[in-house]
Amino acid sequence: MTTSPVKLWRRQKNVASLIGKKGKILQWTIIRVPVKSFVDSAPYSVVIVKVQNGENMIGQLVDWQKEDLKVGQEVVCVLRRLPTEEKEDVIYYNIKFKPL
Amino acid sequence: MVVFEIGSIGLFPTERRAMSGIVAYGTYIPKYRLRVSSIAQMWGKDPREIERGLHIVEKAVPGFDEDAVTMGIEAGKKAIDMAEIESAELQSVYFGSESRPYAVKPSSTTVAQYLGVGNNYFTADLEFACKAATAGMQVTVGLLGSKTIKYGLVIGSDAAQSKPHDALEYTAASSACAYILGNNKNEIIASILEMSSFSSDTPDFWRRDGARYPSHFGRFTGEPAYFTHIIQESKNLLAKSKLRPSDFAFCVFHMPNGKFPRAVAKKLGFTDEQLAASLIVDKIGNPYSASSLMGLASVLDVSKPKQKIFFVSYGSGAGSDGFIFETTEEILKKQKKAMPVLKQIEDKIYISYSEYLRHTHTI
Amino acid sequence: MKISILGTATTKFGELWNVSPRTLAREAMINALNASGLKASQIGALFVGNMLSGILGNQANLGSLLVEELGVAIPAFRIEGACASGGLALHNAINSIKAGQYKTVLVLGIEKMTDHSQDEIANALMAAGSDEERMAGATFPGLYALMAQAYMQKYKVTEEDLAAVSVKNHYHGTLNPKAQFQFPVTIADVMKSSKIADPLKLLDCSPISDGAAAVVIGNETSSKKVKKEVFIVASEVATDSLGLHARKSFTSLAAVVEAGEKAYKKAGLKPKDINVAEIHDCFSISEVIAVEDLGFSKKGEGALDIARNKRTLFKGDIICNPSGGLKACGHPVGATGIKQIVEIVEQLRGEAGKRQVEKAKIGLTHNVGGSGAVAAIHILRI
Repeated sequence: MTTSPVKLWRRQKNVASLIGKKGKILQWTIIRVPVKSFVDSAPYSVVIVKVQNGENMIGQLVDWQKEDLKVGQEVVCVLRRLPTEEKEDVIYYNIKFKPL
Repeated sequence: MVVFEIGSIGLFPTERRAMSGIVAYGTYIPKYRLRVSSIAQMWGKDPREIERGLHIVEKAVPGFDEDAVTMGIEAGKKAIDMAEIESAELQSVYFGSESRPYAVKPSSTTVAQYLGVGNNYFTADLEFACKAATAGMQVTVGLLGSKTIKYGLVIGSDAAQSKPHDALEYTAASSACAYILGNNKNEIIASILEMSSFSSDTPDFWRRDGARYPSHFGRFTGEPAYFTHIIQESKNLLAKSKLRPSDFAFCVFHMPNGKFPRAVAKKLGFTDEQLAASLIVDKIGNPYSASSLMGLASVLDVSKPKQKIFFVSYGSGAGSDGFIFETTEEILKKQKKAMPVLKQIEDKIYISYSEYLRHTHTI
Repeated sequence: MKISILGTATTKFGELWNVSPRTLAREAMINALNASGLKASQIGALFVGNMLSGILGNQANLGSLLVEELGVAIPAFRIEGACASGGLALHNAINSIKAGQYKTVLVLGIEKMTDHSQDEIANALMAAGSDEERMAGATFPGLYALMAQAYMQKYKVTEEDLAAVSVKNHYHGTLNPKAQFQFPVTIADVMKSSKIADPLKLLDCSPISDGAAAVVIGNETSSKKVKKEVFIVASEVATDSLGLHARKSFTSLAAVVEAGEKAYKKAGLKPKDINVAEIHDCFSISEVIAVEDLGFSKKGEGALDIARNKRTLFKGDIICNPSGGLKACGHPVGATGIKQIVEIVEQLRGEAGKRQVEKAKIGLTHNVGGSGAVAAIHILRI
């Protein structure tokens, strides 16, 4: 996962506008064998969500319990921190989804 | 022992009219809870002894992808919603925390950016242990009083870290509170009648640059630190305002554990009933910079108009910020927009000690 | 102009610790040249399909590196389209001949993966996805798992039904001496294997592999009356959104449907005319969706048809993945698209030994990049 501060900075407006938007889960899975950057977080759930304004997004589901993993589950966009590979790296924040 | 002001003429506010006040507030408590008994069991201690001694049952733990910034944004968003203003109308943002993601790089600007505050605002990160955010409120009151700004946002947020097997492990918790302060009488839900501060250089609890966990000096954190500063500030505040404890509907103190605020309230002459609404520490632990402010929010959730609130925070190192608030008629309407602190306290998922270690990036 | 296959070769696929990328490439290229009866100096250009050389080995400029191995300084190109790199390299090679630029072209697909750790490889493979997918911590098994979930829910199919794909392909693998895995697996084996991304398990997923495959192709005037001459009668490519989440459907790959339709039209054929096909089964669900997208099975019946042996050697009608597919033969990413061609050519020429499909006259290869962002379909006939 790239940690360019410039990229982080460019993304801010778009990410900020999504915080608080509601959506519905279109599909879900649980990743048990993660990519390197998310090794500490596994197992985690990745979902495809149809967001309020109609666009689809892919992201992690947070603060979930088993019954939340269903097609049609209502979620809200929240901002969460992504893991950094090096201690010196700039910190990325990204949209994840929280069941309502 | 508390000395009442003899000859205090009591119930009327001071000459100076309250100009600024709280316009809105927002709180965020992460979903996860670790029971004190789980920690005690890990280290072979008697859970009931710990629970009784500290007056804490469980504490709030952040998700592995939450930090002071993400929680601050959650609380900030709720405050902005309650205030019914555009985030660009905020003209100052002060962020108080002792778990800022960067040692150098403001978190206040990150929070402001994601809340859509724009670019024209006064801002900085503040550090004063658990009273960083209340110091931010004082700064904001200054800006408001001089009519430099119309609205200011103050956030207290911490994802507190504690060393495994240390006493602090039972209490160090995570949460965030956001307050929007303003000058407009029609929007203020709690006026600031009085504020003052009492500080000294008292090394009771500290964290060296680069150190992962804070250090503290045991019982030195009690009498000479917490109690001295809160009691002195409280006396100052009462003297300045010429009010007595009985004039207040509620009192709020910083809550490092469940025992200290109960003890200091009693010492100052406040009753259990006055303290009760603010005592969130029993169920969520001590979220440091969000602690006293969370107690205040919990009071605002249930207060009626024209009630006085006695509020004194404490930050190790050490100092106490005191405020006297008085609720207005506006509070009833805005209360309805709040996500009550009690509701968030009950919205929880219990985790095990090992999951807690993962969530806090210890393993 | 007809495009003819002049020679083919493939290396063994597997964890080839002792074999360097250059050696792999040399083996495939020289053997394909020998099979064609041509010398390297008679080749007009080299097209290379490879995905990970730059990302994992920090080696770009692959075209120049590989003609060094050939010993001739001819034009050389690396074409990349994630796991469809091989098919795309072939497509471009064909176009260069049709454009009259070259008469005879060597096409190589190659991937050397096992020099790197599993973590690095999983990370590198996500270069085939989108930024959003990477930031979400998605993995390729995860993306295909999302498709499997959608498919299973829509058509009421079970994990056991999906497992039939791996069972079939492993059976075919036992008959292929070049395959990475030459042992059978049962449904129970698949069901017992560890979960990678729900509902996909270890034995639902193709492995990490090293390997190379090469073909020499030419126009009719350059082919020396090859006996049992096989022609490529269609080579079509289509794309779709990079990220899975933006697709119209999670149970069908529009890029495959489009490329397939164009290919059938070009070749003047229908799905039922295909005798044998090499399908891109990066995951068990991929083959299920593919047989429907290519028109072999009705929508919703792909898994059942496979479970009922309609795609199995010696039992079915349109035989899929006689080589063992990606699952059993292995999936050295850039090499797969060309290996598929090599397999079909051997089938059509009757040179497929123990895994020979009877009376195979028309074959199809289905090569997909990423989660369906690009598809390359080739149809061959003898």
